[in-house]
Amino acid sequence: MFRRVLILAFLFICVGAVFAQDFKLFDRDFQVHGFASQGFVYTNENNWLTMNTSVGSGSAQMTDFGANISVPITDKFRAGAQLYDRNLGQLGKWHPELDWAYASYQLKPWFAIRGGKVKTVLGLYTDTQDLDFLHTFALLPQSMYPTDLRDSTIAHTGGDVYGDIRLKNRMGVLSYTAYAGHREDSKYGGYPYLLKQVPGLIDFTSYGGLQYGGDLRWATPLKGLLVGASRLMEDIDGYGTTTAFGPKVPYHEWSKSDWTNQYYAQYVHDRLQIDSEYRRYWRDQEIYSGLARVQTDVRGWYFAGAYRVTKRLQLGSYYSHYELNVPPFLFQPTLLKAHTYDKVVTGRIDLNRFMNLKVEGHFMAGYGSPPYYPEGFYPSVNPQGLKPATNALILKCGFNF
Amino acid sequence: MGRGTYMKCFKALSLAAGLVAFAVGAAQSGTVKVIANSSVRADSISADELKGVFLEHTNSLKDGSHVEPVLEKGGPTHEAFVRDYLEKSDAALQIYYRSLVFTGRGSMPKSVGSDAEVVTYVAKTKGAIGYVATGTSAAGVKTLEVK
Repeated sequence: MFRRVLILAFLFICVGAVFAQDFKLFDRDFQVHGFASQGFVYTNENNWLTMNTSVGSGSAQMTDFGANISVPITDKFRAGAQLYDRNLGQLGKWHPELDWAYASYQLKPWFAIRGGKVKTVLGLYTDTQDLDFLHTFALLPQSMYPTDLRDSTIAHTGGDVYGDIRLKNRMGVLSYTAYAGHREDSKYGGYPYLLKQVPGLIDFTSYGGLQYGGDLRWATPLKGLLVGASRLMEDIDGYGTTTAFGPKVPYHEWSKSDWTNQYYAQYVHDRLQIDSEYRRYWRDQEIYSGLARVQTDVRGWYFAGAYRVTKRLQLGSYYSHYELNVPPFLFQPTLLKAHTYDKVVTGRIDLNRFMNLKVEGHFMAGYGSPPYYPEGFYPSVNPQGLKPATNALILKCGFNF
Repeated sequence: MGRGTYMKCFKALSLAAGLVAFAVGAAQSGTVKVIANSSVRADSISADELKGVFLEHTNSLKDGSHVEPVLEKGGPTHEAFVRDYLEKSDAALQIYYRSLVFTGRGSMPKSVGSDAEVVTYVAKTKGAIGYVATGTSAAGVKTLEVK
């Protein structure tokens, strides 16, 4: 399997290099683009992101790639699709997925619609979190964009309305998006992986449900300053089987309340970029087919800065703050409080427009709250128990065309 | 030095700084001209509209003309246009276009290697709109005034 994927990835890059960009078919201008990234992660303590990062010389099980094709059918109507595949330790496992596939129709700059499988707009980077080459950092702040839980917010199958409204008196531009659709998680994501292990022993066959919400962002009159807010609401069902009580029996969990609020600001001036976001995620759900009710309150924020020192070199740093509270419930008689605080420094080198290298250091305190909710650290790959602090080195190279 | 002398020096410095800023601004806006295919009906374009076209917020002008942008791959004309009219660096612009392409929200705009290639492309492509250095011959295309 691994060899086949490598061969496919190689062919993909060769084909991409030859056929990159444009070709004409049925008198329409088609574009093909793609990307790939390969990471290496070493940690001094605790295995991270389901990889054996603290064993031997680290792990290189951090690979992803994608390719898309798009075409403007008329001046206002366009369509396209993107495939995405990744392997991150025990996650993804090389199972390709349709990342997005939709058609959009723009009636006016202030009103457009799109339908199909659409990337969800939530905060600054949810929709671009997989696109390594767009970001200074090898890993975006995990309090906001946990790569192991990307499925929970990445896309919905449904429709969006969106547009840009230019405000009078040079007061800037308001951009809005409203959406509704169905979210369907991969079986190879962090949450199903966590619950498959002890003590959950749950094997999901499907996990997803209704997802709807909106985003409003204001490009202010102050040049380079953007502020915004997003709201996401969900109604989620997970079906599968469990062996937690002995024999294999059907399993069902469902949300009674599930929402995310996110607030953000970004300032760009010349070579400097500063971002900050705050997210609160609240989940109230029935688990084990209604046997217990558990509430999860996740709060995260980060502050990030990046500076382009030269045309080729960019330096960046962020502080990411993650806190989780689980009130007492049937399986946890006391309030559970957990955290991960992550200080990060990064150097990004752009070899040319298409290739980049990143070197990144993480200095983490805490390890989230396994086994109730994943945040990078999983008991199954840390059978010896988790230590309170972890330092990590990430080397990553990316390619896009 | 007395207070009056300080004030005179301050006024002189302010005037000099103002003149330098004006000269730099004039030089920047004077280095690039915007050209369009003859199918574009407008003779002028607002700076906001121009920015909207090149950032793919819109693909038509207020008069209804369909437009599609063409960029230069690099060089001083490109740097000046991107900085003065799109208010971005080239690196930020490339990241912006890639974010559109890889989320399905837009296409990578056509880019060519020189002023002469921009003129040739704009002349033969319906709705094309581009930029060249002020002194470039614009035979076969129309020059749009940026208001």
